[in-house]
Amino acid sequence: MSRRLTHTLGSLGQEILLVVVILALFAFVGVYNPRFLSENNLTSIFVGNAYIAVAAIGMSLVIISGNIDVSIGALIGVLAVISGLLVTNGYPIWVAWLAPLVVGAAINAVVGCLIAYARVPSIIATLAMLSILSGGLITFTGGQWISGLPAGYQLAQFRLFNVPSPVWFMIGMTILAGFLMRYTTFGRSVYAVGSNPEAARATGISYKATVVKVFAIHGAIGGVAAVLFATQLQVIQSTVPVGLELVIITASVVGGVSILGGVGTVFGSTLAAILFAAIGSSLIFLNVSAYWLRAVQGILILATVLADMARRRRTG
Amino acid sequence: MKKLITALLGASLLSAPAFAQSAWTGGDDQPTNPLACTGESPAPEPGEYNGGTPTGAPDRNGKDLKVVDIPKLVGVGYFASTASGMQEAAKELGNITVNTDGPTRANIDEQITFVDNYITSGVDGILFAANDPVAIAPVLKKALDAGINVVGYDADAEADARQWFVNQALPNGVAKSMMDQLASEIGEEGSFAIVTSTFTTPNQARWISEMQAYTEKCHPNLKFLETVEAQEDNILSFNQAQTLINKYGDELKGILGMTSVATPAAAEAVQQNGLCGKVSVVGLALPNAMKPYINSDCIQSTILWNTVDLGYAAVEVMRQVADGTLKPGDKTVKAGRLGELPIVNQSQVLLGQPKVFTKADINDFDF
Repeated sequence: MSRRLTHTLGSLGQEILLVVVILALFAFVGVYNPRFLSENNLTSIFVGNAYIAVAAIGMSLVIISGNIDVSIGALIGVLAVISGLLVTNGYPIWVAWLAPLVVGAAINAVVGCLIAYARVPSIIATLAMLSILSGGLITFTGGQWISGLPAGYQLAQFRLFNVPSPVWFMIGMTILAGFLMRYTTFGRSVYAVGSNPEAARATGISYKATVVKVFAIHGAIGGVAAVLFATQLQVIQSTVPVGLELVIITASVVGGVSILGGVGTVFGSTLAAILFAAIGSSLIFLNVSAYWLRAVQGILILATVLADMARRRRTG
Repeated sequence: MKKLITALLGASLLSAPAFAQSAWTGGDDQPTNPLACTGESPAPEPGEYNGGTPTGAPDRNGKDLKVVDIPKLVGVGYFASTASGMQEAAKELGNITVNTDGPTRANIDEQITFVDNYITSGVDGILFAANDPVAIAPVLKKALDAGINVVGYDADAEADARQWFVNQALPNGVAKSMMDQLASEIGEEGSFAIVTSTFTTPNQARWISEMQAYTEKCHPNLKFLETVEAQEDNILSFNQAQTLINKYGDELKGILGMTSVATPAAAEAVQQNGLCGKVSVVGLALPNAMKPYINSDCIQSTILWNTVDLGYAAVEVMRQVADGTLKPGDKTVKAGRLGELPIVNQSQVLLGQPKVFTKADINDFDF
């Protein structure tokens, strides 16, 4: 119990650190070029990357459970195309919005079963899924974009109280998942399974059921991310964004989710996704090559993992 | 970690002037060859013919030709429009029949099978747009060995595996179309930024260098702001265009899209910001992707080659290769209503300047 408490405090530290870094970055770039802090630019930073933050929530659950998913980028690409094809083939808009959630949950439940019941390591199972999804996508669509999307389909362009809907999704789903992880039996079992599967089994937590549930939820959240992704513009690109899964995994890890499982919160991953979005935008404002973004992301991963290991040595 | 980031950003800031040199970012450092600002440019030397030769081809001069067109794939608007240009040329010529047939997906193995089957069934000529320049070469050589005339268009094979290739656009031609269109939309003194794939993508880097050379020569007062990278990613392109708009405010008059992904995404950013008519987007894109913006008068144009003309030219070239009137060493080739087309790069026929699609004609094209 005390170990979990330390861990909770530890990862809370990561979140506070992220908030400080984000504020420092905004202040620094804002001084250099005040336009960076314009309402327009702040909206761009949050809206354009909200789907990454949303997907990182599910990824955090997966990593906390002691697994990894490298197929999420391909899954988002496939689900976005499914949504677009449904709506351009005359299905109601709400079907096109909901189908990605259901299909995403179903696909990832299968992956979860492979991992939990067939004992395929998650990196292998999801690597295979990455190939299947991205290969299937390009074969099926031939690289053709989906255009002619009907009016009213662009969910990501809606606003509520003048705040764009992706921001609401990002905040709402982070809070929901945070609640789920902290206050429910399911949330506690995810932490237990991730930090010590044997002990979890001994206390009556079903490892298999928990992993399958985690992956299914992750798939459904990926479906939400896919809808935000698909409805941002008036065309849907039918290829998988290169390196999307790495950005999502990076957001989780830098957000304080331990790659060894059992530790972390979804608040951290959302903050990290915001940080990356802000860095990406600030590089343009500072006239710095975008190649730095990758370098900065890499440094942040290393720094976070090193800090995590040091923390584990102290507490463990 | 905070220190780390501050240090990193500080270091980046110090190095920032290194990017602010006179060369446009995102270009390569190969020599440029800007076209004339107005009127005809002198045709470059084509160089020594490096295409292949059919062995034991019968005398086909003036005879009826049976030709098959094997594009990358069938059933898509792009190759449907090249095929319609081919039928137009075939009808005009009267002594050539063209049948378009190919795989239903862009798959090189299937395409090879199609070529192979048509060699066996016996045709006079094969037109192709290769899914892979190297992989398709052996089967095309087999066609040449069987005495079949082979001409490529849109996507080339290795030069010695075909006789001629109809090239849709050269970098300096793309550059001229882009910059002339930009200057006509934002004025000779406007400021603009570029959204490209990556600084090292060969085609885009070539075009940007040619654009800089042409701009220095013909639109010297246009003001280049910066180039941003957006991979070939729709959402990232949108975000980058959005950030440019946020960063430069009223100063930004135009965005150049270097990829068929970046251009519609930049148009979307302009539209979502309510800047239609205030910020121009000029770039390479498929007409279908740009129709929503052009039909709503938010964006004026999109630039690409005329695919109908590309198919038309391919059949004209095929006829003259078979007739023997287009020979190695020629500097131009007559192509029906397109007039004289120049020979470039040893064994290529250049279609000409890319086409600027506007509201007036964009809806006539479906790809």
